[in-house]
Amino acid sequence: MPIKLGPDWQKMAEAQRVELSEQQRQRLEALGRTMAGLRGLIDWTEEPIIQFDSNAGMPLPAPGGEEGAR
Amino acid sequence: MTVLEAAAALREGKLSSVDLTLDCLQLIKEWNPRLNAFQTITAERALEDARRADRELAAGADRGVFHGIPIAHKDLFCTKGILTTSGSKVFGGFVPREDAAVVERFAAAGAVLLGKTAMHEHAFGITSNNPHYGAVRNPWDLERIPGGSSGGSGAAVAAGLALLATGSDTGGSIRVPASYCGVVGLKPTFGLVSKRGALPLGFSLDTAGPLAATVRDAAAALNVMAGHDPLDPSSAKRPFEDYMPPERIDLTGLTIGLPRNFFFEKLDPQVDNAVHLMAYVAQDLGATLREVRVPDGEQLNAIAQICLLAEAASVHEPYLRKQRSAYGEDVRALLDMGRLIPATDYLQAQRLRRRMLKVYSILFREVDCLFVPCTPMAAPLIGQNQVLLGGEMEDVRLATTRLVRGVNALGLPALAMPAGQAQGSLPLGLQIIGPAWSEARLLRIGAALEDRIGVSRAPLSAARAGQANTPVES
Repeated sequence: MPIKLGPDWQKMAEAQRVELSEQQRQRLEALGRTMAGLRGLIDWTEEPIIQFDSNAGMPLPAPGGEEGAR
Repeated sequence: MTVLEAAAALREGKLSSVDLTLDCLQLIKEWNPRLNAFQTITAERALEDARRADRELAAGADRGVFHGIPIAHKDLFCTKGILTTSGSKVFGGFVPREDAAVVERFAAAGAVLLGKTAMHEHAFGITSNNPHYGAVRNPWDLERIPGGSSGGSGAAVAAGLALLATGSDTGGSIRVPASYCGVVGLKPTFGLVSKRGALPLGFSLDTAGPLAATVRDAAAALNVMAGHDPLDPSSAKRPFEDYMPPERIDLTGLTIGLPRNFFFEKLDPQVDNAVHLMAYVAQDLGATLREVRVPDGEQLNAIAQICLLAEAASVHEPYLRKQRSAYGEDVRALLDMGRLIPATDYLQAQRLRRRMLKVYSILFREVDCLFVPCTPMAAPLIGQNQVLLGGEMEDVRLATTRLVRGVNALGLPALAMPAGQAQGSLPLGLQIIGPAWSEARLLRIGAALEDRIGVSRAPLSAARAGQANTPVES
């Protein structure tokens, strides 16, 4: 019997009174699988609140203009 | 006529803003019934704007390149006193009391407002096949989609109905119509252009940018659009930068990355050839080409989709609850999916975006930019659901966004520009992705390529200019 990872989307949909087509269910399942696999990449030491600073991840340009910013 | 050509002609007294505006309004009258590129046409307002611009220019009060230039705004940018529907029934009667920041900036620059461009409902889709207002059609082939969600903007610029149009890009919505309509589209770094007054979809992904006939027109537009806005919490504080590329451009010293993985898998071979040809043109102009490996694009797409589905469901929650039947089927289905995304998945996706950005930052120490396809194929037919790519059938919507969506999760800038035509004379698109705040570099590269290969025009625009439907020197 195949092991099922992630939430049961059909049950979640029923709980929210959402009608889910087979295509939608498959897409959510694929997204859920990918997310489960990606958890290993999360930097757990990083302060999570930083994600709410929308430009925090953007490196600032080097002094001397854009071409110096490489 | 390009924005820069028109701006020069206005100053040389060869034509007036009223002439230009009347010409655009005539074209809109003639072609919009077939293209459906405009949601609202503001003819009276446009002529008022044009007369004022002519008076000011005659008096020596020059507001810059866009003074007297007829443009259009995507119908999700709020326009004071003018209907702003977001392509929806939900906002079908919405008349804002304020202008969006982007609209304010173009008005202050003296631009003439022709109207609001049609779009995919709520900007949540890429076909611009709108269930309430009809399908927007591609000027290269009226049976094909222009892409979306800024489909009306792409179609209007490609057909010459407006000299420039604004768009928004949450998962490719500027770059896809640019690719399918054969025009230039710039998705700026997140935070460079204010989103105040733009009806939101995915608030951590949304960006506003221009769709233009040429790279230099897009640069001129970015000069107007970019800048800090204290009233937009996501607006970045940046020093002033002139984005206009110089006249003669040498790409010596520039390293262009060509990904070995992801971006060149499952493509129409014509797209693969077109993008590589552009890379060789850049090499001929002095750039160095380097093969690179990029982080898994499918993973990045999943992260972007989780964020977008959850944010869009959050934005639309009160409207969906009260006016469910006012939504089109495809948008309603996506919003329902968004309601099911677990909060933990959404938050982990946000953390993963930062992780992925770090990986891309390392890549951009090796190369100055990436040359990749914008869409894996030319514009599909209206109503087409599946496309055969790499021997596999793929959903048209997922295929169309596969190569553009991840850039929004990273917040990086990307320039979409024409890269020749497929058999059957449909445009193909190159996407140049750079590190954060590298818009000036991307525009400089794009202008160098455009100077070398020339500008293609959609058949009806080319016929008007007395040109054959083949690339012509700009």
